[in-house]
Amino acid sequence: MNNLELPTEKTAEFSSVDESSLVVIIFDSNPGQKLLRENPHLLTHCLDSIISFSNSHLMQKSQNKLAVMACHSRKSDFIYPGPGKPLDIRQVDGQYETFTLVEKTIKQNLAKHLAGESAMLNTESLLAGAIAMALCYISRLQRTKSPAFTLNSRILVVTGSSDSASQYMNYMNVFFTAQKQNVVIDVCALDQHLSLLQQGCDITGGLYLRLPQLQGLLQYLLWVFLPEPPIRQKLVLPPPVKVDYRAACFCHREMIDIGYVCSVCLSIFCKFSPICTTCHTVFKIPALAVKSKKKKIKL
Amino acid sequence: MDEEDPKEYRWETGYEKTWEAIKEDDDGFLEASIADIIQRAKRKRQNKKEYGTKLGMMRHLYVVLDCSESMSSQDLKPTRFMCTLKLLEGFMDEFFDQNPISQIGVIIMHNKRAEKILDLAGNARKHIKLLKSLNKTSLVGEPSLQNGLEMALRSLKLLPTHASREILIIMGSLTTCDPSDINTTIESLKTDGVRCSVIGLAAEVHICKVLADKTGGVYNIILDDSHFKDLLYQQIDPPPAALGLESSLIKMGFPHQMSVEGTEEPLTMCMCHVDSADEASKLTTGGYYCPQCYSKYCELPVECRACGLTLVSAPHLARSYHHLFPAASYQEVVYEKQSEICFGCQKQFNEVDKQIFECLNCGNYFCIDCDIFVHDTLHTCPGCATNPSTFQITQTG
Repeated sequence: MNNLELPTEKTAEFSSVDESSLVVIIFDSNPGQKLLRENPHLLTHCLDSIISFSNSHLMQKSQNKLAVMACHSRKSDFIYPGPGKPLDIRQVDGQYETFTLVEKTIKQNLAKHLAGESAMLNTESLLAGAIAMALCYISRLQRTKSPAFTLNSRILVVTGSSDSASQYMNYMNVFFTAQKQNVVIDVCALDQHLSLLQQGCDITGGLYLRLPQLQGLLQYLLWVFLPEPPIRQKLVLPPPVKVDYRAACFCHREMIDIGYVCSVCLSIFCKFSPICTTCHTVFKIPALAVKSKKKKIKL
Repeated sequence: MDEEDPKEYRWETGYEKTWEAIKEDDDGFLEASIADIIQRAKRKRQNKKEYGTKLGMMRHLYVVLDCSESMSSQDLKPTRFMCTLKLLEGFMDEFFDQNPISQIGVIIMHNKRAEKILDLAGNARKHIKLLKSLNKTSLVGEPSLQNGLEMALRSLKLLPTHASREILIIMGSLTTCDPSDINTTIESLKTDGVRCSVIGLAAEVHICKVLADKTGGVYNIILDDSHFKDLLYQQIDPPPAALGLESSLIKMGFPHQMSVEGTEEPLTMCMCHVDSADEASKLTTGGYYCPQCYSKYCELPVECRACGLTLVSAPHLARSYHHLFPAASYQEVVYEKQSEICFGCQKQFNEVDKQIFECLNCGNYFCIDCDIFVHDTLHTCPGCATNPSTFQITQTG
């Protein structure tokens, strides 16, 4: 009935077709984010758009695979395919059973997920962790698929919360892993501009789009994020934005052009200081450092 | 250095009954026990990693490659030399991926001479191009270990004191033809804090062992090509810092594109291709400008040719952070239905999973494959990263 659940048991079916694509949608449904705090009904709007998008993806090719995750500040869960057995679905109104299954499963699991949320709201969604989980999931599918079969994976992050520097290291780790595993990360920002996730898109070759208006979410999703990365080059999509890769110094959190980097822990400082505040290493005096630098240039 | 190599010969070790490691289960099958052996082998590598040591992050590595007659031997397929080049290609890629602000140089030894074919540089593409062109090198004469080491040392000596200096020798020959006493060379390598590691393709040679022992490196002999690859890739993780390694603050530039809202960027030439013959520099827009002297480069990281400033981008530094802040290690626990599914990949645990892995920070359970994926590739525990109380904690202790 349902050939998009797990490839492990079903690999034999795919032997005739050799390529399919997997989309892992990470939906930030954290009720604490500004967008949803102000207009709680937007959650339904976003969810409907995401379900329609998921169905469109599955419709493109019968071998296409889908996973949907809900990301909160305290935990992240796979809401499709959820844990346990898939729901027992009969055909309703002539709709393709898989679509009904996707919709029912997502709504049911998301409701469960939201019910588990405590009253204390936290505005920061831990997106880096959700991406890490998605990468584990993708790497399992890659491991268990038959070698003759190619699976192109990408991750789509739909979020209205802001990104904070406190997750910087986790973000960077997941971006580099995604780059290594050829997983494209697309980001659809509903509210604020997300500079860290934008870097991730640039590193992995994905698209970053900050929605001009939320009403058109589904249309943006279908136009921009539905086509697979190889096809995107042929489409007229929003132009890539120049990403600012300058570093922020650890002492004042300001963007700097020229800075000093600790040779032991690679912390970045905007001024020379005799002791590293991160690893407490004592440095040589700058006069000597300059001298050795000159020697190197002469080479 | 502290691990005194207890390398005994095979015939000196006790009598091992290797077949007794494999046990039949109740139904007389061997799968369970074999799966167990595979699991243990998978985990062995990670457990060896030690945390909390100061690492030499800015590595300067010379690969000294034997190009003597013995490298044309066909015990590795197609030849020793071809196999080595192929593996080195992968090595270079992985090395720069894991150590983005490090540099590699290449020296070849043939006909009793050493020849530097690539100065220390930090661009994987250049190295791989060079390796591809190397397969036409004639494999003649004997190698000279001393000449190779001296040449690498001459260049490494000039580096600033915060740089970690390393030499990796790939030796196919069992002999070396040296102009003078090699022990003095080894002594001077030791005083300059150069770590020399040797990978032997044939058999153990005493002088290589002495060299590796005295300079704090490792000496290994390959068994076959996959073992060769393992040994080579062990060199990718940064080694503990040498004793004489000083720490300092290094001035670095973080270039950004010169773009003013609404205007087109000027057409300029980049400095990286300005004097290369085969790939002439073209007039282009965009690129990275040195914040000190405004020379343009098309790739990072690079050392500015005009003013000598090291130019990097913030993600390059971030790529090295995982060596310094590794993910929390997991503890092996016996599976007693603690959790239905693996927290990372959502795999359902079943009878095959005898051992599962628990993260001590966040208390989630993972399967063996996720354990390996998290610690080898991801470097972030998915459980800790989705938990507000633990997402900033990395390695404990």
